[in-house]
Amino acid sequence: MKFPKVRSLRIGGKADAELNEFAQSMKPVSLWADAWRRLRKNKMALAGLFIVAFYVAAVLLAPILPIYHYEDQVISHANLPPSLRPAGEVMLETRVAYMRKMMKAESRTSFNAKEEADIEAMKADIKVNPDHKRVYVMGTDNLGRDLLSRTIYGGRISIMIGLVGTITATLVGILLGSIAGYTGGKIDNFIMRFVDILYGLPYMLVVIIMMAIFGKNVINLFVAIALVSWLTLARVVRGQVMSLKNAEFIEAARSMGASPARIVFRHLTPNTLGVIVVFATLLVPDFIMSESFLSFLGLGVSAPLASWGSLVSEGTATMELYPWQLLVPAISMTLFLFAMNFLGDGLRDALDPQSKNRA
Amino acid sequence: MTDEAILRVKDLRTYFNTDEGVVKAVDGVSFELHKGETLGIVGESGSGKSVTNLSIMNMIPNPPGKIVGGEVLFGERDLLKMPLREIREIRGNKISMIFQDPMTSLNPFLRISTQMMETIILHQGLDKKAAKAKAIEMLALAGIPAPQKRIDCYPHQFSGGMRQRVMIAMSLSCNPEILIADEPTSALDVTIQAQILDLMKDLTARLGTAVILITHSLGVVAGTCDTLCVMYAGRVVERGDTEDIFASPKHPYTRGLIKSVPRLDIASEGRLSSIRGQPPNVIDLPECCPFYPRCDQAMDVCKKKYPERRDFGNDHSAACWLYSEAK
Repeated sequence: MKFPKVRSLRIGGKADAELNEFAQSMKPVSLWADAWRRLRKNKMALAGLFIVAFYVAAVLLAPILPIYHYEDQVISHANLPPSLRPAGEVMLETRVAYMRKMMKAESRTSFNAKEEADIEAMKADIKVNPDHKRVYVMGTDNLGRDLLSRTIYGGRISIMIGLVGTITATLVGILLGSIAGYTGGKIDNFIMRFVDILYGLPYMLVVIIMMAIFGKNVINLFVAIALVSWLTLARVVRGQVMSLKNAEFIEAARSMGASPARIVFRHLTPNTLGVIVVFATLLVPDFIMSESFLSFLGLGVSAPLASWGSLVSEGTATMELYPWQLLVPAISMTLFLFAMNFLGDGLRDALDPQSKNRA
Repeated sequence: MTDEAILRVKDLRTYFNTDEGVVKAVDGVSFELHKGETLGIVGESGSGKSVTNLSIMNMIPNPPGKIVGGEVLFGERDLLKMPLREIREIRGNKISMIFQDPMTSLNPFLRISTQMMETIILHQGLDKKAAKAKAIEMLALAGIPAPQKRIDCYPHQFSGGMRQRVMIAMSLSCNPEILIADEPTSALDVTIQAQILDLMKDLTARLGTAVILITHSLGVVAGTCDTLCVMYAGRVVERGDTEDIFASPKHPYTRGLIKSVPRLDIASEGRLSSIRGQPPNVIDLPECCPFYPRCDQAMDVCKKKYPERRDFGNDHSAACWLYSEAK
């Protein structure tokens, strides 16, 4: 970076503007702008960012997207494979193929009367019932619900849990961590021992017990996950604050008469934000995983609501016959978690001043 | 200079409790600062210069530090007994500080404008617009070119010298009565040092601010200070007008310091002299003159008792047995 030479403001009667000709080009570049510039150079992180943005957009816009409602079920469309053709055709094909299989198993050479009648009824129904014009790009589940829609709406809950968990973790973690780190002494001891105690409790067990006591609903799930989510972050923030609180600029702020609250929240927290942002992006997949785990165990959201965890759980039951019911939500979730992790890694590199001069 | 003292430090004692014992970093320091005066505090590293000034602002980290005795009278009030809320009113407003390393004394995450306006809004109750105008005015005074553009920059976009100018602008933005400058030039390039000192001298003279200048360079002191305190092992060993002290240094330590500065006006006679040995460790010092092991003129009495302060007139005094009748 180039700096203009320091010199007296009046040399040989020249005007200030003339003298400072080279001083004008200095544009304020914040550390965030700088980090963003570096993040843009990281292809993986950028890809991660786009995928995350795509998911968030899809999930937010779910109600106005051209997809079926996640609760809509057409019983005759159960277990249809992914296809771009109308559901009626796919259904007919699938059912006929099934009947052929039965026929072979019973060593017949033609359909029996009941099967013939079924096929005719189906054909007739396809002609009149507009439901059969539906297209299930990702197939359907065992109740004839659109898997794409269920995955998107499931993502809504999963991502929301990830975000709510992360936001609570961040807020509570910053608040308690910085108070503990800055004040030190008894208060620090009290807060950190409390954290230690909560750490000592088996996290999953606490969540499971809470869900069992307060009932299975989404709000309780949020509360249960948020309750234990802030511990690590509080520790991280405390460490950061402790290492920064004796920095000279903090002393300078004190010498200017700033109050402790001001120092903590105006001067210290912004300086820890880099670490917090990275930690938070890596927390999101963590929470999504915990929620999936709980849903998988049947303790998460319950039908007709869906989350990625519950979809995967349902999918495993039928994975031999209808593998797409497992693969669609599982791949969606994995892709999101990967993207989130790449983004977090990229952010860490971008916000790390050590890597500043690396390409 | 008037005779009205705005800051009186009386017998200030600041101790640090460490595992090895009690470090008496400041042990009975007294001085007075008059309106508009520039006071220099010189001494080797570890002689208690910075701790003295942190004690004045009541900013000693506690624990391990503790101000165990003495008074710091600012006007009529003792800063050491003031509740924290009130002393915050004084910090940055009536007494402000400049730190040694301008690279670390500005918050890297906040714009210069944010940091400067924070102080101005806090102490002067101006609205944002007025505070920004005031901050720009101060930056211009401190010689930052194009201040209205540079004010929104971040600290990392300034060089060391420029940052120190920003610090000076910031610390003078509330027209403080006292400016404490803790080695303001020692982290800077030699070519910038003189500029920064001139700037400080010029601005404080214009605003009528009294300055406490902490430094280990006697050259800096000779050019800028009206009065001088020489500190050694947590005590003031000699005190007086700068001219008096340079003309006739009394304490052997002061003499040693002066002799160890290269002079242009006196032809050099070979090697520059230096004071032999290291400054003492101030843990559990015995009741003696802490300088005697390194002193050329040490006497028996030096090992037994700390010398009394002897006055030489015109506020010039020194603590050394050489001048005591009761040897």
